[in-house]
Amino acid sequence: MKAFANQNARSVEEAVTLAQQSLQGGQSVSFVGGGTDLLQLMKDRVVNRPGSELPDVLVNLKTVGGLNQVTPSAQGGAIIGGMITLDALSQDALVRDRFSVLAEAAESVASPQIRKAGTLAGNVCQRPWCWYFRNGFQCYKAGGSVCYSVRGENQLHAIFGGGPSYIVHPSDVAPALVALDTSFRVVGPEGERTLSAADFFVLPRQDAEHENVLADDEVLASVELPAPGSGMRSAFHKEMDREAWTHALASAAVVLDMDGGVVRSARIVLGGVAPIPWRVPEAEALLAGNRVTPEVARAVGAAAVAGARAMSKNAYKIPLARSVVERTVLTLATSA
Amino acid sequence: MDGKTEKGRGLTRRDFLEGTGAALVVAGAAPKFAGAESSEEAANLQAAGTAPRTRIRLTVNGTEHRIEVEDRWTLNEVLRDQLELTGSKIGCNRGECGACTVLVDGEPTYSCSTLAVWMDGRAIETVEGLEQDDELTPLQQAFIDHDAAQCGFCTPGQLMAATALLERNASPNTQEVREALVGNLCRCSNYNAIVEAVLATARTGGAP
Amino acid sequence: MTAQEAQGSIGPLNTVGHNVPRIDAYERVTGKATYTRDVRVPGMLYARVLRSPHPHARIRSIDVSRAESLAGVRAVVTHETHQYIYSSGSIAGGRQYSDAAKDITEHIRYMFDNPVRYVGQPVAAVAAVDRHVAEEALALIDIDWEELPFVIDLEEALEAGAPKIWPEGNLGLDFRNEARPMTRSVGDIAAGFRAADRVFEDRYTTAFVQDAQMEPRSALAEWHGDKVTIHTPTQGISNCRHDNARDLGLEDHQVQIVCKYMGGGFGDKNGSYYFDLIAAALAKEADAPVLLELTRKDDWLGTHGRWHTVQDFKVGVQQDGTVTAIQQTGYSGMGPYLRRSGGISGIEAYACPNSERVIYPVHTNRMVSGNFRAPSDPQGYFSIQSMMDDIAYEIGMDPVDFAKKNMLRPTEDVRFTNYMLEDCIDRGVELFDWQSRRRVEPGSDAGRIKRGAGFSFMMFRSGVGPSSAIVRVDSQEQYTLFVGVTDIGPGAKTTMALIAAEELGVPLSEVEVVWGDTDRCPYSVGESGSRTTTQTGYAVVQAAKDLKAQIAESGMPRRGEVLIASATPTPSTQGARRMCFGAHFVEVEANVQSGHVRITKYVAVHESGRILNPLPARDQIRGAALQGVGQALHEDLLYDPRNGHPLNAGYYGARHLTHLDAPEIEVEFIETDDGFGPYGAKTVGEAGIILGPAAVANAIYNAIGVRMKDLPITRQRILEALS
Repeated sequence: MKAFANQNARSVEEAVTLAQQSLQGGQSVSFVGGGTDLLQLMKDRVVNRPGSELPDVLVNLKTVGGLNQVTPSAQGGAIIGGMITLDALSQDALVRDRFSVLAEAAESVASPQIRKAGTLAGNVCQRPWCWYFRNGFQCYKAGGSVCYSVRGENQLHAIFGGGPSYIVHPSDVAPALVALDTSFRVVGPEGERTLSAADFFVLPRQDAEHENVLADDEVLASVELPAPGSGMRSAFHKEMDREAWTHALASAAVVLDMDGGVVRSARIVLGGVAPIPWRVPEAEALLAGNRVTPEVARAVGAAAVAGARAMSKNAYKIPLARSVVERTVLTLATSA
Repeated sequence: MDGKTEKGRGLTRRDFLEGTGAALVVAGAAPKFAGAESSEEAANLQAAGTAPRTRIRLTVNGTEHRIEVEDRWTLNEVLRDQLELTGSKIGCNRGECGACTVLVDGEPTYSCSTLAVWMDGRAIETVEGLEQDDELTPLQQAFIDHDAAQCGFCTPGQLMAATALLERNASPNTQEVREALVGNLCRCSNYNAIVEAVLATARTGGAP
Repeated sequence: MTAQEAQGSIGPLNTVGHNVPRIDAYERVTGKATYTRDVRVPGMLYARVLRSPHPHARIRSIDVSRAESLAGVRAVVTHETHQYIYSSGSIAGGRQYSDAAKDITEHIRYMFDNPVRYVGQPVAAVAAVDRHVAEEALALIDIDWEELPFVIDLEEALEAGAPKIWPEGNLGLDFRNEARPMTRSVGDIAAGFRAADRVFEDRYTTAFVQDAQMEPRSALAEWHGDKVTIHTPTQGISNCRHDNARDLGLEDHQVQIVCKYMGGGFGDKNGSYYFDLIAAALAKEADAPVLLELTRKDDWLGTHGRWHTVQDFKVGVQQDGTVTAIQQTGYSGMGPYLRRSGGISGIEAYACPNSERVIYPVHTNRMVSGNFRAPSDPQGYFSIQSMMDDIAYEIGMDPVDFAKKNMLRPTEDVRFTNYMLEDCIDRGVELFDWQSRRRVEPGSDAGRIKRGAGFSFMMFRSGVGPSSAIVRVDSQEQYTLFVGVTDIGPGAKTTMALIAAEELGVPLSEVEVVWGDTDRCPYSVGESGSRTTTQTGYAVVQAAKDLKAQIAESGMPRRGEVLIASATPTPSTQGARRMCFGAHFVEVEANVQSGHVRITKYVAVHESGRILNPLPARDQIRGAALQGVGQALHEDLLYDPRNGHPLNAGYYGARHLTHLDAPEIEVEFIETDDGFGPYGAKTVGEAGIILGPAAVANAIYNAIGVRMKDLPITRQRILEALS
């Protein structure tokens, strides 16, 4: 790897300051959580931040105290530090009990070793796994002006929201967070700001280079989950092309607010199919006020993919996404 | 500067693998050091003023080491090259295979995917630390008895992941064994025998 | 499962046939086994290789001055500094062990070629004080490239007007340096089709699969005067030594190859590699030992894998299911260098009296293809046995009955040392409960979860041939066995020791094995082609017999003396075919809504003569079968044909099987002794991989009712086929 200096931050503010100092000194900086993905990009000499260089400085967030906790919020929800490992997140009693979609999503990521190192923030801010990007092609995601998947090998690319880049968002945790109506607390040199999911993630047509709004000197410090309603239940299911340790071909994060057997409201967010976690309001609307029967579930699945547009080689994602929505909604709604 | 630098001119596609292109290297490249007699000396000469280094304290298999490492060195490199514990392997160096698995404070970790400097103050256990006083652990013996090592290259990683599993769950079922070891590939595909060895260890009630 | 005794006619001997843990299992479970990168030499430098980013390009100029100036860099080599031929990298007609072929082949491959012909081909290398400096130095090598037209697709490569990779075009040159396909004709194909009631035609394709052994390759080279010692993971230390000596312009005795432990080989490492040469060149330049480490991506793209194929079949069948004609046209993707033959096996397992096979080994600008465990077989068996399975269902026959009707059996002209194929099939039918699991009507299960079963059968070469062994006894009655094996995983060291102990009539503990070092071991054919047990093992038996005779004549050696016996037998079966046999039965559960396939039962029945060591033999089959599953369902190397770049190299990209993907494989051996080999032992190492793709594919057809004709059978493809 290119030589770099590791700087251990003791607070988020210090992390931001360290990053700023390096940037102002003309150096390239990356924040690092678990580092399992960043190190591979660095070994492959793939630049993590578009328009940047391979990092001269890594600002280590693992040393920031208290950034890895799950804390009940005053409103009855939860505040989760960005540096919590995926393993700790999936095992946390409060998360498992009240936000199972998030626990299940975290548990589905990669392998046990990666889950013990990888962090919530790292997973959410992960760069795309598009094979053009990861093989060093100078595409939009690397700061270039082309997407090679358009007329190329797009088996793993987007059926929603694509253009000019057609990557799919690689995070499993992100769809769960979006389904839970999570807010994202970002800390930067100007202080902190809180964003909704809709404002945190960006479509390529807004900004083709980035998947989210974080600047080079900003940190995703924590997320806040609103209080779950008394009738809330949630689940995550992910379809992969091997049994484990693989990014989603299509996934569904489903949150239902139920009253007896009737769905009051629903949030359904797809992963593996779009450059951002993809909510499907048309499908959600079909559930409101209804009991979930196999027919209803089937209709919900169909509605979820009604707006999908296949590229030349990824049409299979449409029935697959439909299937995962149908199956997850039905199982969740009808389980005891 | 705002952190954005001008990309190299004419770079339409990054050179492949370890190729050219991207960032520039170690600042202030100096001429070759003629007369450097050993690679270690040369490394010290090389290191001075170039690759950032940090002093860390690592406890490995119960022994504390105080060493100076380059910030860019992975835990795996330090174990294998500085401490000469070559039992932990490199299979891919990308966190995709698990051959480098060691235990960090008891947790299975890809040693290729974590920096040594991040391990400061931690307790590391490698495959070399399993055998105590010339006695193999029941798990190691089970690996021998159940033919769980074909070429043997994934074996240290499988052993460490399985050791951690049996520490927290003394009687896993088949599914639990597979889930705990899913982060360890075996291309000889000796999966059946590895699982049998772990289950056999559990059945005999042996601590790992 | 343990070995099965057939008709009570064969059982374990004193040592052979009993479960014996591998003699080096201790080293493997303690981390003490020294693989190539575990070897430490004082003053060792580290090296990295710069590789081509282009599928086809000429180097106009290369400037290494900036790299050489980087502090810590000790040597840089390029095609301009070294013009070593890499002789085992390009062998006409697949004669990898033939010096004669290497002498006449016209498509010479060099350590560093210019022009380069595939993404990943080596271009230059750097040795430095540590690997990071070496890597940084690569980024300082400046190359002025002239990009050339390239071709990725197999059939496109043979079209007129395709970019020419070689002056003669893109059809591989055979051992006469002629561009002609490999052909095999039996009987009269036209008459065969005239005799048929129905003729079926179809096309099957199989993807490239990398050997992907867990140990990424390396070479550690050290010169002592005019002799070089190279530690390198090789299955054939003798061949490796000879190839390297030849390419370095040295005599054999000036090259020492050492490989004590190897992290998997699967048939691809029996011989030298270009990185042996690169390490030797760097070590000479730097006047220091050099460890060249390939990254996983280097290894994936810069070595070899199983050739991908396109196969067209035309099969003539009579009403009663008798196959009267088989015509096969195959295209094998070999990359730009014909390292191996590109053959496609499978049709010869049928008795059909009229057949014609034409195989084109094709050059493209993809990575090079080479041997991987039964090199020509799984891709061929998948295709022909899917075809035949299809035909069986079309004419309303049980595929097992169809197979029995058409499989090759002993005749007056076709003699076998013994023949056990039907036994394997019958035993498998019984163990697997074929009649219950197979759906008479494919795809007939109701609902979205459908089950089905498929089967495949095979015979595979288990020939006899020359190899060498030396056995020695000292005054302490300690026996030492010298064999040139490496042990890529099947446990060869242990097997050889078992054989020696059996023949000598002594406990295994009294036999020490010296292996993996050309300075100490005799010639070995190398561990590929499933020959170690049958050929080297047989040599061990002969050497042991000779030693026993010496002991009988002159007694045990006195203090300070040893008795030595060596043997290089050249046994012959007098024209009888010596084959091992097998049948695999697979049940799958397919979700037609999600395309997900799960193997719910897998039975593998094999006859491999006498099983010398039951557990390793069982695990050879289980592991190979799982590799077959990986080939069937997941593995591929995808190239973007517009830029000639491989997109998914690596374990993750190719979706290799994890613990959770691996079903339990049930293995049963039917043991026999045909009087050949050591104690009747036959091939085990390659046997298990041949049938997986065929059996899995046939099971999927039986479950979903749609024939999948392209490997890998991914979820994506199933969903597309069903929609």
